[in-house]
This record gives sequence, structure tokens and C-alpha cells, in this order.
Amino acid sequence: MGKLVFNSELCTGCRACELACSFKHERLFSPHLARIRVVRVDEEGIDVPTGCEQCEVAACIAVCPVRAIYVDPETDGVIIDYDRCIGCKECMTACPFGAVHYNRAKGIFYKCDLCGGDPECVKWCVTGGVQYITDLDTVLQLKRTKTAERALRSIAEGASAAGAAAKGGGV
Amino acid sequence: MIVVAFNYGGYAGKILQVNLSTGKITKVPLTKEQVELYLGGRGYDAKILFDNMPPNVQPLSKNSILCLSTGPLTGLLGPTTGRVNVAARSPLTGIYGNSNAGTNWGPELKYAGYDGLVITGKAKNPSYIAIEDESVQILPAKNLWGEGVYETTLALQEQHNGFETRVAACGPAAERGLLYGSVIFDLWDAAGRSGMGTVMASKNLKAVAVTGSGSLEVAQPDRYYDVVCDGWSGILNEPGFKMGEHQALGTAVCVGWGNAQGWLPTRNFRESVFEFADDISGEEFRDKFSIKDSPVPGGRACMSCPNRCKRFGKIDSGPYAGTRGNIEFEGVAAFGSKCGVRNLEAVFHAFMLANDYGMDCVTTGNMIATFMELNEEGKLSAKLAAEIDDDGMELKFGNERAMVEMVHRIANQQGELGKLGALGAWRALTKLGGQKLAEKYTSAVKGMDTIACDPRASKGFGFTFAIASRGSDHLRTHPVFEMIKLPDGVAKEMFGSAEASTLKGYGGKVEMVLYHEELAAVTDSIGSCRFMHASYYTQYPIPELLNKYRKRPRPAKDIHSVKYHDWVSAATGMKISYEKLFEIGRRIVMLERAINTQYGVRRKDDRLPRRFVEEPLPSGPAKGQKFDKKQFESMLDKYYAKRGWDKKTGLIKKQMLDKLGMDDVKKILEKRKLLGK
Repeated sequence: MGKLVFNSELCTGCRACELACSFKHERLFSPHLARIRVVRVDEEGIDVPTGCEQCEVAACIAVCPVRAIYVDPETDGVIIDYDRCIGCKECMTACPFGAVHYNRAKGIFYKCDLCGGDPECVKWCVTGGVQYITDLDTVLQLKRTKTAERALRSIAEGASAAGAAAKGGGV
Repeated sequence: MIVVAFNYGGYAGKILQVNLSTGKITKVPLTKEQVELYLGGRGYDAKILFDNMPPNVQPLSKNSILCLSTGPLTGLLGPTTGRVNVAARSPLTGIYGNSNAGTNWGPELKYAGYDGLVITGKAKNPSYIAIEDESVQILPAKNLWGEGVYETTLALQEQHNGFETRVAACGPAAERGLLYGSVIFDLWDAAGRSGMGTVMASKNLKAVAVTGSGSLEVAQPDRYYDVVCDGWSGILNEPGFKMGEHQALGTAVCVGWGNAQGWLPTRNFRESVFEFADDISGEEFRDKFSIKDSPVPGGRACMSCPNRCKRFGKIDSGPYAGTRGNIEFEGVAAFGSKCGVRNLEAVFHAFMLANDYGMDCVTTGNMIATFMELNEEGKLSAKLAAEIDDDGMELKFGNERAMVEMVHRIANQQGELGKLGALGAWRALTKLGGQKLAEKYTSAVKGMDTIACDPRASKGFGFTFAIASRGSDHLRTHPVFEMIKLPDGVAKEMFGSAEASTLKGYGGKVEMVLYHEELAAVTDSIGSCRFMHASYYTQYPIPELLNKYRKRPRPAKDIHSVKYHDWVSAATGMKISYEKLFEIGRRIVMLERAINTQYGVRRKDDRLPRRFVEEPLPSGPAKGQKFDKKQFESMLDKYYAKRGWDKKTGLIKKQMLDKLGMDDVKKILEKRKLLGK
């Protein structure tokens, strides 16, 4: 079970992940060709890394009319088979995260393939804004800790603990 | 068939020229010859200005040229490569002006397919340029004219591609003719100094919005990848970086650092230690204003930078509620210690106001501090002092309300003080009381005032201020080397004297400045930041030398350094050796000098403000020190001799230009009778 975990609280917006990704896959430097993208929201001082969440019930798989998208049994990554893809754009419009991209030059759709279980973006992330976690229990445990931390903080700030916990939290 | 006009890697390959008078948009291929000699960014900009702008063209006339350029390494994953260079003739100083910012705008311009943007002419009505890959449009900006940088940027993001639109904008202060307007990228990243925003506004150009979807290719991908990995490892393993202070607090860490070392300018350079430095420190900012949830509080990075030196913060309540933005050291010192203000909220607010008005925070802070000192010493006429005196806003050091009010007045040119303030300290005081008054009370060299470092306490910085090509400034050189105590052996091997890595000494300082000046010219031109070559000293051969003088040296394979020459070679495919890199740096320094000699810069202009030579520091670790006049003159002699400039006049000698292969420059200088003997 492999998954990239995106954490906007840790991301500094340096976008090294984008360029490392595009270089690894295309040998070119271009955020536009990256499978991972960081949305910089300057006015709030926040940077939000986005990419494929490797959904269990993946919208892209469900809508693909030619079954070009499948789950790699080794990594659990959701993969596009370029030989089957007919370029209908259904997966792109169905993905709730904007994680399926279109390469105009090659005329293909592409998405994160977890680099076969050794994601390049993670190697370049200095702060841990994007992490690769193979053990889902770890994710859950981290999530729970994070949620508890938020609740504690908001008690310290005088707000309702339940309200803060309900907002959830990143890892 | 596609004709390849340009075959070096790394570059986008063309320059975008926009003539705002005629509306003509041209895409010109870069020439091989020019990038071989000047690389890109700062170097290439200087060449464009030298070749295309006769010396009689005034900074704010429609014939002036404004360049916004990137370098061959911009946007290619190398550490700290989010830089963009802005150059024009400065309205503040009348000489060569240029400023550099770390941002996402520069890389975006390259992804859109352009290495640089050259703007000429003047639009009939307020306009902005919208670039989306091949599509370049000049669009009306009537609704944006008069708006702050913040509103302008957000409006243009909304109008174009949302958060993915990068915006460079000038502010309303620049529109009204303040001489030190800045160009602000992505809301808070300023190319602040020397009035580049004023040049932009004088062309009726409010903003440049860019989105790019192209890609960049390097010449030797595998080698390039290795060099870049080495560069990142160099920073991540550098002891200073690992120590974590800079990571945790950003450049604001320098408040505490400068105060402890005794070079934090206080009350318009009267002193160099600020008794309330703790109140305006990086720690204070983090605790009060940073977003609390993050383990790297408020830390934000430019493109591809592990250093994340920007600090984002917000003020939620109180008189300055609503203030938000990224801070850095210079602005905090300018409105904090220089004005004697200890309330960080007021400092933050004034800083962000200056940012939104689009004015250089350093010059603004200096201007207000100068007014405060003049008033305290009774040098302001009663009429002028009374302008702001009512309601407890007396212009005195430490009066935060007066400071904030002055930012508004200067930006809006309200009242006599506001009008004077918009001229910058040197011109304002010259107007008020002649050159003598300006010499006594301002920290200006060549018309631009000094940043937050006292030259009496740091001799290398001091010398830099005197010779910097854009007026008093550290970034042309940035010899932080003297602020970090390194093993004597390293200083000796690099610059011939152990004193080079001390603040107080004069020994080895000229060599140190020469080295840093050339390297700075190169790094500005390739598009990387000062933090790698000065501050962290991760560039070859310093990590190697440090290891050599370690008690227990580590194996060579564990030593990582940034090898700029390899880096540029692998990216572009040019063959650049370590020595050749410095030759390029020397050439750029020489070209900027050539431009300046055309504007009348001579030896008399390479000087230090009187205060630093005559008044010893009254307190702190550097108490009693001043910049010795004799030492200064002999350092200048030595510097000129090494640079190949005429000792008496400061003009460039012919032989030096021959040596650097600058025939075209030589011919023009010869024609204008500007060569040294």
C-alpha cells in the first residue's frame, strides 16, 4: 500500500518536487509536465501540494471507457496504460484533485505513477510537505495524533475542542 | 523546417521586446555571442542597456529601457534559482540601476518561453502586459492605476489563471513619481532598490502577468542532475544551515546577529547597537505573527530553494490589524532600529505599507530616520517640523505613529515633507540645505543610501558600499565571509590574510571584495541567489578548504560544494572553467563601470559617507571604530589597480577591456573619450 501524503502545513512552496518529477519522467524541467503540483496562495502565506491520492475507488478508473487505467499490484498506484488510452479526457474531468494532466506535445494523459514505489518528489522535499507512506496504519496513527494536537492547541486558544477536531488535519 | 538560432541548453532562447509607444511586440532570439560573454540576467541586461541606450536618455523619459531578465539556470531545479533581475537607468541616482528579486515570476517567464523582457516606450494610457506562452498582449489597466500592489496582483490573478498567474507590479507611490519605487513580484517579493518601479510606472505600465506551460531542456541532463544534487547537499549539510537558526527565523535572524556583532544601524546610523533589538527580532516575529500550526513557522521559499528565508505573518487585532505579508531583515531594520522603533507591530505595518505602495523599504526607512535625526537636531525648519507635529506625532526617533504616518505622506507626496521624502534622503537633504547637509546626515553613496549594516563595524561591507555599481549596497558583493569566523588557513588561502574573516581588520579585504564582487556578478547573471555563495559558502572551493583545516577532515566524497562552473557548463553546454567563470564576472563588473562612467561616475564618487569616516561608533562591540580614511584610500588604490582602472579618475584602462575581449565597449568609450590612462 503506497501513498503520497501531501501536507500544506509543512510545504514551503519551493516546488522542487514539480521540477524533479518532470525531469524524472520527461527529462525536461517544466511544472506543467509534473505529476505533482504546488498551488501557492501568496496572500495567505500558504502552499498546497496536490497530486494523485491513489484512490481505492478511483473515479478515473470508473469513467475510463477503454479500461486504460489500472491498479499496479506492487505499489497500489493507479496507472494509465498509454497504449490503450484514447484521449477522451473523461479521467481528467472526473478526478476531484486535478491530478490527471494532459501533455499536449505527446497527446497523452498522464498522472502520478509513484515512480514504481520510489517517488522522486519525496527525495527532493526538504520539509516533509510530501511524504511517501507505504504502511497505511502509520498514516492513520499520524492523523489521529495530528487531530489531537489541533484539539489541544485550540483548547489553549480558548476555542471549542470539538470544533477544531471536526476540521480534521493533515499528517 | 525549423531554424535553430540558438542551441545552448538551459535558456528559453528568446527575449521578448515590447514597445509600449507603438504596441509592437517582438520576439528576438538570444545571440550565442552575448550569452557566452555575459551569461544572462544582470550581465545581459547591462549589455542591452549599454548597447541601446545613449547616455543622454533620462531615466523617466519614454526612450529609457527597462529589462526584466532571468539567467540560464533559472527554473531548472538548482538550489536558489528563483531569481529575476530588473535593470534600467535609475531615477534615484541617475546612474546604472538594477535590482534583483527571489520569486516565482522569473521561472514562469522562462516556462512561457522568454529569457527576458525588454520594455521600451510609454503607453498612452495605463496598461499591463499579459503573457501566456506565445500570446503576449498589452491590455488596459485603467481600473488598476492607483491601486496598491496587493489589490493589483489579486485582481490580475482573478482575471487570468488564478493562483498560477505570476504578477510583477509597481505601486501607487511610483505612479506619483516617488524616485525609489520598487517592482514587486508575487505580492511581496521586491526588486526594491534603485527605483526600478518608478521607471516601470513612468512607462504607464502597471504590471506584467505571466503564465507559462513550456519546458526547459539542459545540455547534459545526467551530469546536470549530479551537479544539482551536489549543490542541494552542499546547502543541506552546511553547518550554518544545519544549525537551523536561519531556517527557523529567515533573514530576520540578522537583527539579533547584527546587534551582537555591533553592526545593526540604529537611529540613522548614529549607533550600531539597538537596546530594543530583542523586541524586533526574528524570534519575536515568529512568536507573534507566524501561522502557529507549522513547524517551519511562516517559512516560504522562492522557486527551488531549500532555504525558505521569507517569513509570512499576519496581525489580527489592534491598531495595525489586517497587516499581512512576508518580512525580511532589511525592512525590519529600516523601520525598526534605524528609526529607533521597538514595537514590531508598527515596524511590520510600515514595512507592508511600503510594500503595498511599491516603495523601497530600505530607502523609505532611511528617509524617515533622516528626517527624525534632522528634527531632533533642530535642522528642520519650524514650518516643516510643524507639518507632522500635531497630535503627538512629533518626528523623533522611536515615535512609531510618526513613522507610519510618514510612510503614507511620502507615498502620497502629501505636504512639503512628503514631497521631499519622495526624493530619497540624498536629494531631499541637498534640496533642504545643500550638499553639505546631505553629506553629514545621509548614508548615501552615489545618491543611494546604505542598507542595514554599519561600515565602521564591518570593513569589507564598508568598502563594498563605496564601490558598488548601483550606489551604497551590499549585494553587489555581500562579503559575509568577514562575519563568520573561519579557520585562519581558509582566509589566508582565499584572500591572503587571516584578517579577512574578521569584522574589524582591513587585511585581505580588497581581495575578498574582488572575489565576491565577481562571483556575485556571475550568480546574479545565471539566476541564483546570494545565499549559496555568500552566507552559506557552499561554493567551491570553500567547503573543500574548510575540510582541509578541520581537525579531523572528512573523506573527500562526503564534501559537497556548488561548482558554479560545472553547473553552468552542464546546463548550457558551454565550456566554462572556474577561471573563466570569474573572467565573466570581471567582464560584467567592467561593463557596469563603463555604463557608470558615461553617467559621470569617477573616483570622487567611490567614497564613504562622512559619518562613517569621521564619527567613531559611540557604543557596542565596535565602540570607537570608524573607517580609517587613509586605509580607505589605499584600499581604493589597490582595488583600482587590480581592476585596471585609472587611479586618479577611476576610468577603465584600455588594456583591461582588451584582456576581457570587450572590443565593442572599448570602441564606444574611446569615442566618448572615457578611457583611463
